[in-house]
Amino acid sequence: MKERNQVLPEFENQAEALSISVIEESIRRHVKYSLAKPWSDLSTNDLLSAVAFSVRDLLAERMLETEERYRAGDLKTLSYISIEFLIGQSLTNHLHNLRVFDQYRQALRNLGASLEDLERAEGDAALGNGGLGRLAACFLDSLATLGMPAYGYGINYEYGLFKQEIDGGYQQEKPENWPAQNSPWEIWRPEEACLVPVYGNIEHALDRDGGYNPMWMGWKVLIGVPYDVLVSGYGGRTVNSLRLFSARSSLDFDMRIFNDGDYFKAVEQKIASETISKVLYPSDAVIGGRELRLVQEYFLAACAVRDTVRRFERHHDNFSEFPDKVAIQLNDTHPALAVAELMRILVDEKELAWAEAWRITQATFGFTNHTLVPEALEKWPVPLLHYVIPRHLQIIYEINGRFLERVSIALPGDPGLLKRISLIEESKPQHVLMTNLAIVGSHSVNGVSEIHTGLVKTSLAPDFYKLWPERFNNKTNGITPRRWLLKANPHLAGLVSEAIGNGWITDLHQLRKLEGCVSDPQFRDAFRKAKTANKEELARIIYDTVRVKLDPTLLFDVQVKRIHEYKRQLLNVLHIVDEYLSLIEDGRQPAVPRAHIFAGKAAPGYWKAKQIIKLIHNVGRVINNDPKARDWIKVAFLPDYRVSLAERIFPAVDLGEQISTAGMEASGTSNMKMTLNGAITIGTLDGANIEILEEVGEENIFIFGHTAPELQDMRLRHTYKPRECYERNPRIKRIADTFKTGRFCEKEPGLFTWILGDLLNENDDYFHLADLPSYLEAQEKASAAYCDGDRWTTMSILNVARVGKFSSDWVVANYAREIWNLKSVESA
Amino acid sequence: MEVAVDLIGEVGVAEVPVDELDASNAPEFKRDIAPVVENNTKLVLDMSRLHFVDSSGLGAILSCLRQLSAKGGDLKLCCMSKQVRAAFELVRMHRIFDIYATRDEAVRAFES
Repeated sequence: MKERNQVLPEFENQAEALSISVIEESIRRHVKYSLAKPWSDLSTNDLLSAVAFSVRDLLAERMLETEERYRAGDLKTLSYISIEFLIGQSLTNHLHNLRVFDQYRQALRNLGASLEDLERAEGDAALGNGGLGRLAACFLDSLATLGMPAYGYGINYEYGLFKQEIDGGYQQEKPENWPAQNSPWEIWRPEEACLVPVYGNIEHALDRDGGYNPMWMGWKVLIGVPYDVLVSGYGGRTVNSLRLFSARSSLDFDMRIFNDGDYFKAVEQKIASETISKVLYPSDAVIGGRELRLVQEYFLAACAVRDTVRRFERHHDNFSEFPDKVAIQLNDTHPALAVAELMRILVDEKELAWAEAWRITQATFGFTNHTLVPEALEKWPVPLLHYVIPRHLQIIYEINGRFLERVSIALPGDPGLLKRISLIEESKPQHVLMTNLAIVGSHSVNGVSEIHTGLVKTSLAPDFYKLWPERFNNKTNGITPRRWLLKANPHLAGLVSEAIGNGWITDLHQLRKLEGCVSDPQFRDAFRKAKTANKEELARIIYDTVRVKLDPTLLFDVQVKRIHEYKRQLLNVLHIVDEYLSLIEDGRQPAVPRAHIFAGKAAPGYWKAKQIIKLIHNVGRVINNDPKARDWIKVAFLPDYRVSLAERIFPAVDLGEQISTAGMEASGTSNMKMTLNGAITIGTLDGANIEILEEVGEENIFIFGHTAPELQDMRLRHTYKPRECYERNPRIKRIADTFKTGRFCEKEPGLFTWILGDLLNENDDYFHLADLPSYLEAQEKASAAYCDGDRWTTMSILNVARVGKFSSDWVVANYAREIWNLKSVESA
Repeated sequence: MEVAVDLIGEVGVAEVPVDELDASNAPEFKRDIAPVVENNTKLVLDMSRLHFVDSSGLGAILSCLRQLSAKGGDLKLCCMSKQVRAAFELVRMHRIFDIYATRDEAVRAFES
């Protein structure tokens, strides 16, 4: 701590003292020497690149200092492997973290440019689908802020998540070609490329001592070329890196094959190899190229483990110390082959005995589960694994054989047990269960909210939990306060800092001090004004984008997230339809005028999710154009939901819709982001909603719907009878019957009749009608609360004040203490 | 490709005559080393020139060992670069070959 106290303030002063003229000079220098362009010819994108290079200079300097501190301290390091990192924009995030935002803004003004224009021009690095990838990005931010030695490992997708366009209410997917190889934020590291063998066969041979020696022959080789994206911690003292691998063909290294004449074949092979990092698969998509996806996951696992081992070997040679110096966290099962890859390296290459290699592997890995949805649990056909990575399949069988043998000795008398816990599913063909591989190969298994962890123990892996209860733990997700308040909501961030100081930026629990401001009329007034300003800004964006005009006095009722049946955007629409029909058929005006705002992408192959997008647009078109509804209800769908858009939306939310079917949302993080920005949640007892309820108090949240156990009971006893609810409740019947009519699909009759069928289906796993009555009731309570402006302001302030638990700083500190045994370089 | 052989006592020492041994030249190497394998029972393969070997190249070297073993001979390897050693370790071939740092050590190993 002594070092930090001495050095950090000094450093911060340096950063803050970075003179504006030096920044101007740095930008000019990059325009001239990095871009080689005259100032007069600069486009906005050119200037953005020059500014990014200038910021990267600062980052690089601090990254080298950080690496030196890690090396000198010989600290344990973390490798965080994730198939997705949803980074979003980088420029202003770095400026905030380096604490040079104002200086750069002024320098750009002096140069006749605007930081705001550059911010608008910067594309999002969309290397992820949603929560899982954004969580990984938030964690990297927190790890750097906490001064922890950590490396992210991911794939440098050439095409990140698709760009969503809307045509006639239908989602169209367009390629989002982010500048993966030409981004100023990426540092090319060809000298640290990894060779990744793939395909081939096993030759069964004997070694010099007559022991069995399987040899992996006939493989092809992929080259994993690393690109480092620098990750700044708040205060700028620690800069870590996220290493993203691009797949390259070995032909890049062997031009002779080109020279030998078979140019076209060579190019074909090269393209096939490079396809591996070409595209991010949207989750929930029906994946045609299963083999490509498997190779992609293996490529990531192999590159990450090889790089981690290489870093270890730079300063150590005794692999028994590996778990003391390295922790590896698997962000879901996509990188779970890393378990087999580390075993392969230790046993095959380093010649460790199996038992010692296994001890090291288990002590090194931790596994975070993110889903309970059965179709999302990964499993790979054994014949495909045999074809793609035959040696790893052998190792997985060996792990399984030894594991089952130990269990059969320790727990005899339950013949079904071995089948239930086996890594191999005895289907035709056999499959390898990746969740089981990750659990068996890790010393820690965590869920991402209290309820989710409970379900992991009782539903997903009850037998494993009985075997190793000590391995299972909860780590509720978190969000970084820097991006989601400091950067996203300067109005509120400024007000909070004025009221309680800026300690909250790195210690979000300090927001509790805002409870002391809840009765302060000046603070309340400023708080309301900040919200109104944010709503005005969002209203402008919505008008500019989709030409729906919103009055900021409307209640902004917002649901933004991936479009999926379990997240129940449909339930939200049912409420809007009820509100509309009550108005135009019953003449009953809503208690409060509302703007219903949606955003989110549907997986390209997910027909129902895409239909729901169409439904939202059609309902919006009818309502927005109905003069009777004009002053009361508005519906807007913002296309191309992404991190930078989310940063504009969250600050403006009054009511946040977190209405998933209980038991299906592992955690959710938009609920936390909205709460942090003063929104009040309307939600089910699902994921982190439950913990938000515990934190903010039941008087400051609108909870409705069945609990997860109640729904599970209905499933098991077949007692869900949606038709009875429909027949008995005229209000529900009227809403549901709308889908039989052409009210919302005049030009395409019958378009939405499938919805009525789904709603009345006893096997509707999302229980829409079961929760609809209580949802409508909760919405009425929300309207009543909003009508009482004073009460709403109090609720809103208390939501902000009590959200501290959901800081990713705090979550990451818990992972570090309880799973990784990772220390901050500041305290080492 | 020409594979030069030095005879040290009863031990033949051949040098892999390329920098890279892979799918493009492994068949040629296999063909051109065949007479060397045929004419020697104790053979050392000096790999000091070799910087890169892929699975085809490894297969060619493994085939030499198998031919020599079949007639009661042996193949020892020497002067392996770090990168080539890594390829051997990757497929566990380092466990079936005797690998030495220098030519002399490899030759002496036949004498003991």
